[in-house]
Amino acid sequence: MIEVQNLTKRYGNYLAVDNISFEAQPGEILGLLGPNGAGKTTTMRVLTGFLPPNGGKISIAGFDVMTDSMQVRRQVGYMPERIPIYPDMTVEGYVTFWAKLRGVTRPRKRVAEVLEQVQLYDRRRSLVRNLSKGMRQRLGLAQALVHDPKVVILDEPTIGIDPQQVIEVRESVRQLGQNHTVLFSTHILSEAEQVCDRVIIINKGHIVAQGRPSDLRQQLQPEVSVYVQVGGGSEAEISTLLRQVPGVNGIEAQGAGYSLRAQKGVDIRPHIFDKVTKAGYKLLEMRPVAMTLEDIFLDIVGR
Amino acid sequence: MWIIFRREIGQYFASPVAYLIAFAYLLLTGLVFNNDLTSSLTIRPADPAVVPTFLSFGMVFFAPVLTMRMLAEESREGTLELLLTAPVRDSDIVFGKFLSAWFYYTVLLLLTIVYPILLLSTTPNLPDLGHFIAAYIGIWLYGGATLAVGLMFSSLTENQIVAAFLSTSALLLLYLGNLAGDIVADINLANLIRKLTLGGHFSPSFAYGLVRAEDVAYFAGIIVIMLFISIRVVESRRWR
Amino acid sequence: MSQNTSTPITITRSDIGQTFGFIGALSVLLGILGLLWQRGFTLAIVVLFFVGIIGLVLWWVISPREFVNFITGRQARYSTTAFFSTLLLLGIVVMGYIILERSALSADMTEGKRFTLSDTTLEVLNNIQREVRITGFYSPRALQQREVDDQFFRLYEQASNGFVTRNYVDPVAQPGIADDFQANDGDVFISFLGINGDVDMSTVQYVTRSSRQERDITEAISRLLLSGNYVIYFDIGLGELNVTDTSQRGISDINDVIRAYGLITQGLNLEELAASGALIPEDASAVVLARPDVDPSPQALTVLDEYMRRGGDLFIAADTQTDFMRPNSLFNDYMWQNYGLRMLDAIVVDAIASDETQLDIFSYAISDLEITRSIDPGTDPNTATKFRVARAIDVNTEPPVSNGSAIRSSENSYGETDVTTLAQSNTYTYDDGVDIPGPLTTVAWARNEANGANIVLVGDSDFLTNGQVGTPPGNASLFADSLLWMTGAGAAVTFSFETTVTGQPLIFVDSRTLDFIVVITILVMPGITLALGAIVWLRRMRR
Repeated sequence: MIEVQNLTKRYGNYLAVDNISFEAQPGEILGLLGPNGAGKTTTMRVLTGFLPPNGGKISIAGFDVMTDSMQVRRQVGYMPERIPIYPDMTVEGYVTFWAKLRGVTRPRKRVAEVLEQVQLYDRRRSLVRNLSKGMRQRLGLAQALVHDPKVVILDEPTIGIDPQQVIEVRESVRQLGQNHTVLFSTHILSEAEQVCDRVIIINKGHIVAQGRPSDLRQQLQPEVSVYVQVGGGSEAEISTLLRQVPGVNGIEAQGAGYSLRAQKGVDIRPHIFDKVTKAGYKLLEMRPVAMTLEDIFLDIVGR
Repeated sequence: MWIIFRREIGQYFASPVAYLIAFAYLLLTGLVFNNDLTSSLTIRPADPAVVPTFLSFGMVFFAPVLTMRMLAEESREGTLELLLTAPVRDSDIVFGKFLSAWFYYTVLLLLTIVYPILLLSTTPNLPDLGHFIAAYIGIWLYGGATLAVGLMFSSLTENQIVAAFLSTSALLLLYLGNLAGDIVADINLANLIRKLTLGGHFSPSFAYGLVRAEDVAYFAGIIVIMLFISIRVVESRRWR
Repeated sequence: MSQNTSTPITITRSDIGQTFGFIGALSVLLGILGLLWQRGFTLAIVVLFFVGIIGLVLWWVISPREFVNFITGRQARYSTTAFFSTLLLLGIVVMGYIILERSALSADMTEGKRFTLSDTTLEVLNNIQREVRITGFYSPRALQQREVDDQFFRLYEQASNGFVTRNYVDPVAQPGIADDFQANDGDVFISFLGINGDVDMSTVQYVTRSSRQERDITEAISRLLLSGNYVIYFDIGLGELNVTDTSQRGISDINDVIRAYGLITQGLNLEELAASGALIPEDASAVVLARPDVDPSPQALTVLDEYMRRGGDLFIAADTQTDFMRPNSLFNDYMWQNYGLRMLDAIVVDAIASDETQLDIFSYAISDLEITRSIDPGTDPNTATKFRVARAIDVNTEPPVSNGSAIRSSENSYGETDVTTLAQSNTYTYDDGVDIPGPLTTVAWARNEANGANIVLVGDSDFLTNGQVGTPPGNASLFADSLLWMTGAGAAVTFSFETTVTGQPLIFVDSRTLDFIVVITILVMPGITLALGAIVWLRRMRR
């Protein structure tokens, strides 16, 4: 549904996006994850047909963004980070305007539908200027969905709203994924983890990693860690013993026990078990510790 | 394009500021008309071009106010970015806005025709109808040109006030250039300058009841060029 | 770009197109620059524009898509190209403008067609044999006036096939020339051109400025053409109407009019001439007897006769209630014997071609002559003549010289011979056998082919007075055209007298109506607008 090959975008001399490539399948929820200034918004703007790229081939639903820009725009719904408002229009009027502009054939019906969908139907006659921030978010979403696009692109949809609404928005995004291909950007990592089918981590204009959250964890986690709590000996004895477990790269005191980093591909759990029991100590607790995406992310970004 | 046109028209009729402008417009033109009427009673024929001649000065101030928000506000609020992602041509956006402003102006202009109609209903003497029509055609085109200039400046900035200030200055320059003769000694240069001004294409012709093709070309030319520049500027937003 | 020397160099259509386009655009830009620099068209600049247009057109024809793309397409979005495409558009617009300006296409929408030349002017222009120059003095401050005036002068130039040319002088830049003409800023002069192509200063005529621009200019041209060659003498010794009299009974208006057109008018006294043994001056193009009270004395008649014998022209306006040209009087007989014209003592009463009373008669039957050429009531009722209480003229059908009737009354008219009753009680009835049945001649002419003497005789003189000469204007036309025919000046100029109503009426409105208008326009309309604005503002306040 979305195909990006070698996308490059410059602002003057500043290289915002450098030769990135990725894909999104129909019905996928794709997350663009990265710190501020990474190039997320730029990438999205290119996909919406707003910015022309300096290089690369991008197509959405089979249409090239350069040669078939108008078609692309019909297939894409876009919700920018700052919801653009026309203060003096009614909610209904606002959505109807965008509906007509995007070529919706039966605007009234469709507008009512989408307002229901975002739960703004009972405020449809209010003036946009009188809406709260959360409602404006929903309004922005309504405008992006009204023409039933194949692709929905959301730029930081959970910024600046209260936690309750954040949860609502994430839920909405998940639901969207059932019928649309969704691309949304965030710099909140847990969000990406929770909501997306796949994640693209982008930094300084480059893709540093992409894949399913679980795969990413696996792929990028340099080592598996195991948390062990051993009883029946002194700290010095236990730590020395643990260090000797084959396949252990390093050991760290963590809380009441130790966190052991294993070499890649080595499952040290049986070795730990053997070592501890043979030494006559008691294995009180042993569990694998997964690196969170957060850790991976900070790690990668830190590089 | 027409969708944008309809929305903008709606804006004009839903905005208190627009009504305020219309109020000032009607009040001033009404005053001018009545002033001419009372001063010409039984002495000389009433000037059929009195309202248009006033408007040739008034539009220098009205046009920027009517157009200042059109593109500046859109880009400031972010709606311009959204518009640019809609399946709408950039030129459609500019044309739609321009036509809506011109339409609103036309409505106000037609309202001023009520004044001489009121007069007609009370006296049997018909004024010089042709002169009247010519003057109104002229000021209609003139208004279109000033609105196009205002729109162009609105596209350049995100700040409405700056847009209004710039377009007022520009229009003032184009209007006062008529007085080039008072400043410049070389008569050919002064004449050339006059050919570039708004007044120079209205006062010696339309205001007298004469419709010249070159004046129509001048106003049409200004509209075309200003709109062209506006479209380029809107497009250039894609590079910012 | 490295080229493999074995591959042929291909030139695509778009290359050719682009080359033309580039040349074209460059040419146009240079043309604009040149225009600004030279401040006018020279051959080089015209060539540049021409080449420019051709280049652009060729570009468009050869590779139309590229052309369109360049103006509006993707490339235009790049800022530098956008800049040039804007300049190009500017160039095209400027060219279009200049072409239209040169063509001077315009539509005159004014009621009185103030910006179109009338037929009269066109006729005058047709008669011009020598080059005429319109010289206008305009300083930079007066440029607007110059532009408005120029609309006219252009028309004159075009209509005269080049015989009339215009020239503008800046009195500030060239005060010497302004001094020669004694010109103020905004003054306009008409003159002939001398042999060397310069203004012939001896022929300079000042153009007066009134609200009738076209009339002012045409009058000036007329003065130029007549060049003071024609002098009309108004006799004053027999109690005639006076050219200096500005009252309703005076004839100052018609005098002013014919002088504005270039005829010179002077006073004459036949009786005094006769007494001193002098003759009517050589320069007399015509002599006018405007309602004498009495016949000229025999000596005066001799003086007059002498004048006529050398080809003089005479305009006589006789009238009722005078002792002039009574039946069998000396002068009446003289006229009858020499020209076959005499006045009858009968007042014309017309039942159909008349106005307020049957004595206020309109011209009915009009012969096709030069002196009646402006009179055509069938087409325009305003061109008729109207005489109030006129005497009938007897035209000899077997005259000694050519003569004829110019204007006659209708068949339903008759000549009332009982003048006394009519004068006393204003009653008249047709008395069979006594009164003269119509149609009756009210204006007659005579011409002696041998010596070129001309006579126009009119049975009324009120039509010349200030109160009546313009209503209807046909009255003035009759007099003017008669003079023009007799003197021969008609070959050079024509005069025309349109209705005096300019078409823009004055407003007469009472104060109550005025208040009504003020209330509606200043209170009601703006007030409604303000109210609507308040409503909208309040609406905003709600949810």
